[in-house]
Amino acid sequence: MLKYVLKRLMYIIVVFLIASVLIFALYKSVPGDPARLMLEGSKQNMKPEEYEARYQEAVRKLGLDKPLPIQYFTWLGNTLRGDFGYSITYKMPVKQMIGVPMKNTIMLNVWSLIPVFAITIPLGIATAVRRGSRFDSIVQVVTIIGYSLPFFVIALLFIFLFAVKIPIFPISGVQTPGFTGSSIQLFMNKLYHMALPLIVMVFTSLGGLTRYVRATMIEALRMDYIRTARSKGLTEKVVIYSHAFRNALIPFITIMTGWFISIFSGSVVIERTFLWNGMGKVIIDALNQQDFAVSLAMVMFYLILALVGNLLMDLSYGLADPRVKLD
Amino acid sequence: MGTKKRHGSTFGDVLRILFLGQKHTKLSLLEEEQMQSPYKTMLRNFTEKKPAMLGVYVFILIFLACFVLPLFFPLDLQYQDPTQQNVRPSMSFMSIPKALNGNIAQVDGGSVYGVGIDTNGTVYQWGVLNQKLQAVPTNMGRVVQVSAGLDHVLALNDRGQVFTWGNNRFALAPIPMEVGFTTIKQVIAGHQLSLALDTYGHLYVWGNSNIVNVVADDVQGNIEKVILNSNVAIALTKDHRVVQLSSRDTPFAAIPQEIQGKVVDLASTDRSAAAITNDKRVYVWGGQDHGVQEIPEHIQGKAIQIDAGRGHYTVLLDDGTVESWGWNIYKQSKAPNLKNIVNISSDYFQNYAIDKDGNIHTWGLRGYLMGTDQYGRDLFVRLISGGRITLTIGAIAVIISGIIGVIIGSFSGYYGGQIDILLMRLAEVVNAIPFLPLAMILSAIIGSKISETGRIAMIMVILGLLSWPSLARLVRGQILAAREQEFVTAAKAMGITELKIIFKHILPNVVTVILVNLTLSFALCMLYESSLSYLGFGVNEPSPTWGNMLFGCNDSTVMSQYWWRWVFPSIALSLCTISINMAGDGMRDAIDPKSAER
Repeated sequence: MLKYVLKRLMYIIVVFLIASVLIFALYKSVPGDPARLMLEGSKQNMKPEEYEARYQEAVRKLGLDKPLPIQYFTWLGNTLRGDFGYSITYKMPVKQMIGVPMKNTIMLNVWSLIPVFAITIPLGIATAVRRGSRFDSIVQVVTIIGYSLPFFVIALLFIFLFAVKIPIFPISGVQTPGFTGSSIQLFMNKLYHMALPLIVMVFTSLGGLTRYVRATMIEALRMDYIRTARSKGLTEKVVIYSHAFRNALIPFITIMTGWFISIFSGSVVIERTFLWNGMGKVIIDALNQQDFAVSLAMVMFYLILALVGNLLMDLSYGLADPRVKLD
Repeated sequence: MGTKKRHGSTFGDVLRILFLGQKHTKLSLLEEEQMQSPYKTMLRNFTEKKPAMLGVYVFILIFLACFVLPLFFPLDLQYQDPTQQNVRPSMSFMSIPKALNGNIAQVDGGSVYGVGIDTNGTVYQWGVLNQKLQAVPTNMGRVVQVSAGLDHVLALNDRGQVFTWGNNRFALAPIPMEVGFTTIKQVIAGHQLSLALDTYGHLYVWGNSNIVNVVADDVQGNIEKVILNSNVAIALTKDHRVVQLSSRDTPFAAIPQEIQGKVVDLASTDRSAAAITNDKRVYVWGGQDHGVQEIPEHIQGKAIQIDAGRGHYTVLLDDGTVESWGWNIYKQSKAPNLKNIVNISSDYFQNYAIDKDGNIHTWGLRGYLMGTDQYGRDLFVRLISGGRITLTIGAIAVIISGIIGVIIGSFSGYYGGQIDILLMRLAEVVNAIPFLPLAMILSAIIGSKISETGRIAMIMVILGLLSWPSLARLVRGQILAAREQEFVTAAKAMGITELKIIFKHILPNVVTVILVNLTLSFALCMLYESSLSYLGFGVNEPSPTWGNMLFGCNDSTVMSQYWWRWVFPSIALSLCTISINMAGDGMRDAIDPKSAER
């Protein structure tokens, strides 16, 4: 097991280094001189010589005068220490700036997990068990439609139905602007604003996930041990939920990794459509305002998350499936 | 199963098949092997799936619509028209009420509607009418003249009284006191501006003077006729001279000197003006947009009446026929062959011609099948051209990702070992980083430096570069399985190079699986492209795609008032991706009988 973990860690470090070089190259190709951008506001009230001196100082401070490899390692070291750079628009470190949006995104995503799994797992199992039936084929067609529809189309449709035609939910925002009240009222207010994005989010995940559960479940039901279990005379319930479903869960871990990452990244489209102040919106705003430090910090952050997620996935495979250790 | 009687075994069955058509009969495995190649079996399996075939048909229809229809409805990228903003889907711009037929007195076209009066002086309206326009005053008496502007109407009755309805902002609604004290002979409604001319040649102006500022001091009391476009007002004086009623120097002031004193009729498009002289010749001056100065030669010496829309002229000739030239975006300068016409009226993109029996003939813009957007562009034209761009981007992105995925997957699967591990880890990481944020960042950083066409190419490359991992993994799995088979060993033993073994001997075996994957990722790439464009990081205005047509539609006004702006692109995009996915899903089931059970 230890050898397995070490081997995985090695690979991840290699991939991380390769990817970080690529991101650094991207970082260097960003339009604009970061040292000049730093002095942007104070240019008018400075003499040219003074500005030049300050500029040179900024160049030194940012390490732009050093050769590229050294710049790369300084940047990498800073990133690993959690220093993701400085946001020009918000005039504060990126790490500090993303606090609130991160909280909003995590809140939205964690809440959406519950209904998504509560619907997709039973539905997936039911269609797998009744494979080929009328019920199954209807669900199959509906889920194809579900995962083919673009997120924003579903979002627009729900806004139209539940915020414009029947105005029961607010169209956008995280909370009522200038809201005052007790913390419970504030929480309820946030929950109320979260309802529509949450519904859309759940709706968009149903199609793909149901099909995935169904496929893995069918795979599991075809195994020999299922036949054994049935011939032993076990009830169908035990066969499905205890024998088949547990084994079907193994591929599920892959999906969970995706979820793990998306909890932090958020859905750009849904956050943009509902003006939800989360990570997706931070990226859009940063890009629109040419605040590339923020957006690249986010890519780096996602990369680290992706790698950690992959490592966790490998480890949980190792734990869940004894065969994995063999190779 | 085995005891069931096979189809086609009795004489009755044969007859039924002969006369009622072949219904697929399930053959036993052995018979099937004998009769059909695997590809035939796949094709048959596929064609039997109703949802899959439906998907194929719908996709073919969409494909044809997006690649053939733009030939007939070409897109003008630079075209914008503020007078046609947010018009709802309708084909009624020129559908004149039946009651007017045979007794029409006068007709005038507004931006997206029309107004007419019959010989009894009753007012009729048609086209896209907002609530204010529908509120026609009831106490007007016998109306003898109407004039339709951008969004308001002026009417004149037989006692010389003026009425107005429609847009009532910009001081359009209160008719100036002086107008009530004199006898008006002509009313003109324009862009948020109203003009009235009395029998003494005095002009009265009210409304919004910021768009068109009418300065008529020099010629007050000497005006015979006034015309108004979106830039300037021009007057015909009682001594047959043309005068520009503006204090600014505009192209309209370049009036040909030889016509002064001889002019009998006057008209103007947005950029140019035209006049008919007493020898029935037509002169055009000002701008040259849309070929308005290319006057057809055969009308010279025969023209008796002229009118103009936003970019075209229509003249009535002395033999009762009509001729149009100029802008032809909505076929408004394609005049039909008419006879016995006594009066014409052209406005915006519409033309009306009244014959001597009081019947009315129309040509030009009838309306918009799917409405217009916030810049007045026809959504239908943008939808089909946008579909072409979206489909092209999706297809090329898929080809790029297909090439990368097949190469990486093949090498990874065939060589194995360290190369395999490294490549697959890379694939996992590319797959794990959230797709849209990464694509957005790449698009924002690279896209700021390149042209619009370059941008479209860039989107294709970005989508291709980021979506190969799933295909690579699939190809790798297939190659891993094929690598150990005898024919590969045989090929190796014969000394065939490894590259040739991979691409000539192994890949053809897995090509169907690759095709299915490419089909499904085609839909995915289209979704990604439209998401990017919807967010503003894909293809930008003015090039349309289904995604960027939805940009800015999450606004409550657009959602509720201008529903056509988001409904049609959404339907097109959804239909397209659903049909591709259905076809792809059916294909997967068809090529792999095992997965059909999934």
